[in-house]
Amino acid sequence: MPGASLALHFIRRDLRNRYLGSFSGGLWALVQPLVQLAVYAFVFVYIFKAKAPGADAPGFVPFLALGLWPWTAFAEGVSRATTTIQDNAPLIRKIAMPREVLVFSAVASAFLIHGVGFCAIALALRLGGVPVDLLALPLALGEFAQLFVLALGVAFLFAALQVFVRDLAAALPQLLMLWMFASPVFYASESLPPAYRGWFALNPFAHYPEAFRALLLHSGTLGLAAQALALAVALGVLALGLAVFRRLNPHFEDFL
Amino acid sequence: MSEVLVEARDLGKSYPLVFRPRDRLRALWHLLAGRGRAESVAVLKHVDLRVQRGESLGLIGENGAGKSTLLKLLTGVLTPTTGSVTVHARVGALLELGAGFHPEYSGRDNISLAAALYGLDAQETRAKIPQIIEFADIGHYIDEPVKHYSSGMVVRLGFAIVASLHPDLLITDEVLAVGDEAFQRKCVRWIEDYLAGGGTLILVSHSMYHIKKLCRHACWLKHGEIAASGDVFAVAQAYQAYQESKSAPAAPVRANILAQNVEFHLLDLVLNDAAAEASIVLAQGETLRASVRVHSRDGRVPVVLFGVARADGTPVYGVSSEMDGVRPRRESEQVYSIEIEFADLALLPGAYLFKAHPLDPEGVRLFDTLERSVTISGQSREMGTVHLRHAWLGVEAAAPAGRIGVIS
Repeated sequence: MPGASLALHFIRRDLRNRYLGSFSGGLWALVQPLVQLAVYAFVFVYIFKAKAPGADAPGFVPFLALGLWPWTAFAEGVSRATTTIQDNAPLIRKIAMPREVLVFSAVASAFLIHGVGFCAIALALRLGGVPVDLLALPLALGEFAQLFVLALGVAFLFAALQVFVRDLAAALPQLLMLWMFASPVFYASESLPPAYRGWFALNPFAHYPEAFRALLLHSGTLGLAAQALALAVALGVLALGLAVFRRLNPHFEDFL
Repeated sequence: MSEVLVEARDLGKSYPLVFRPRDRLRALWHLLAGRGRAESVAVLKHVDLRVQRGESLGLIGENGAGKSTLLKLLTGVLTPTTGSVTVHARVGALLELGAGFHPEYSGRDNISLAAALYGLDAQETRAKIPQIIEFADIGHYIDEPVKHYSSGMVVRLGFAIVASLHPDLLITDEVLAVGDEAFQRKCVRWIEDYLAGGGTLILVSHSMYHIKKLCRHACWLKHGEIAASGDVFAVAQAYQAYQESKSAPAAPVRANILAQNVEFHLLDLVLNDAAAEASIVLAQGETLRASVRVHSRDGRVPVVLFGVARADGTPVYGVSSEMDGVRPRRESEQVYSIEIEFADLALLPGAYLFKAHPLDPEGVRLFDTLERSVTISGQSREMGTVHLRHAWLGVEAAAPAGRIGVIS
C-alpha cells in the first residue's frame, strides 16, 4: 500500500517536529494535559467541591482524567486535521498524492501522543492508589481505537469543508468547547436533568468518557448494545466524512 | 510497436470564478449536490495528446497559455473538467519552482518526503540520499529549512531528487531557466543521458534552444488550445514567427500612398511566380526570385531597393539597383520593372519579410513599401539568421552529430 509509507512519514515528521522548538521536547505532550488536569482538578475539587457519582467512587480526579485524555486526543486530532489540507497547499498544488493521508496522519499523530499519555496517566493513577483496573487497559485501548475512527470521520468532513468555507477553522475552538461541555467529560450523564438526556444520543462522543470509566474504574456499566451502537455510529461518521471528502477532493486545488 | 505512456483526450480545465466568500459557499453546495459548477473560466480546451515511450515532447507557448495547467493535469495534481488523461508510467515531475517542498523543513526532510511520495521505502530512500545531495551540490544548506534557499538551490535540489528517482516519464516545467550555467549544463547532460537510455520527457521551456536540443516533438499551446504540434523544428519555427510578427511595427497604409499620388509607387511584387498576396515557403539553400513593377508619375527612372528582414522587423540584408549600378527596364511611359534573384539562399529556417521599395533616381527618398512573408523551412540547429560559410580545422569527425536520443 503506497499510502502506508507516506502516512508513516507524515506521522513521524509531525511527532518529531511538533515539539522540536520547545525545551521539554516530547515530554510536553504529557505535561500539557497534566497541567490541564491540575487546573480543572483545582477548580472542580477545591472550589466547586465536585464529586464523582457513586458511593464508592474513587474521587473526582481519576474520573476527570479518564474523560479528559480521550477528549484531548479527539479535539486535537480534529482541529489539526481541519487545516491540514490548507497547511499543505504547497504540496497539494505541486504533487499528486492521496490526500486522505494528510488527514489520517494529523489525527493519528494526535491519538498516538495522547494514547501514550492515556496509558501513562492510568499507570500513574494506579501507583497513586486509585483502583484502576490495569487488566482492562487493552480493552480501553480498543475503545481508544474506536474513538480514532470517529475522530477520523469528523476530521475528513471538516478538512474538506474548510477548503471551501474558511470560517470553519476560526469557529472550531468555540465549537469544540461547546462540544466538550455537551459531553460527559466533567460530569456523569446521570447527573444531567432527564429532559436533556435524550439529546445525548445525538452526541457521538458522549459514549466514550463513560466507556473508559466503566472499563477502568468500574463505575457504571458498559452495555453491549450501547457499545455496538457506538461502533456503528463511528463507522457511519467515517463513511459520511470520507464520502464528502472524496466528492470534494478533485476540486480542492481550485479553491486553495 | 511503441508503448503509449500518456494519452489525453479532449482534455479541458476550467477554474471556478470565485471572488466573494459567498461564491465559495455556493460552489460547495453545487459540488455536494453533484450539479457541476456555475461560472467558470476555461484555461485549457480540447487538448489531445499522445506520448510514446522514448519520446521527447516540448511544450511551448506564451505565459498563460495553459502549459503549466496541462502538466498538472498530466501529473494528476489537477482533475480535468472535461476529457480524460491516462498515464501508464512512474512519473517524476518538477512543476514550477518549489516542486512541492515544505518551506519549514530541511532539504534532507524534503528529500525523504519526496521519496515517500514517490513510493520508496525507508531503506531505498536512505540509499539514495547521498547521491541526491551530491547532485544538488548545495553544501551545508541541505540541513537548513527550504525557506532559506535561493530559487536556484530549490531547483538544484528538486532536479537532483527527480534525477535520482529515474522515472519512466520526466515532466519538468522551466527548471533550466533558474539554475546557473554550470547547473544547467549538468541538467541538460543528465536529460540527454536519460533520453539516450530510453527515458521519456515532457519539457516546458521558453528557451527554443533547449526545446530544440532536447525534444523531437513539440506542441504549441495558444490560449489554452493546441495551435500546432508535430516535429519540433516546424512547431518551434511557427511559434517563433508568431512571436516575431506580434512585435513587428505596423506596415504603412498603402491606400494613403496611392491616394496621395506620390512620384513613385509599386504596382506589384511577385516572388518566385507565386500569386500576388501569397506568402511562400522555401527550403534552406533554394533560390528566391523577386520582380516588381513601379509606377513613375513623371516618367523618371526609379531606383528599386530590395530588403529582407526577420518577422519582427530586424533587417537582415538590403540592396538597391543603384548600389549595383543597374537600372529598371522601361515597360511603358510610366511603368518600369526589375527582377532580382537570390540563389543558394543562406537564410536559416525561420520566418522573414521580403520588402521592395521604389526610390527617386538619386536613391535618396523612399516612396512606397510592399512586403511578402517568406518562410524558410528546415531542421537546422544553427543559431542566428544566416548561414555563414565555415570549415572546422584540425578536427576529426565525431560520433553521430546532431541530437541525442534518436529512437525510431
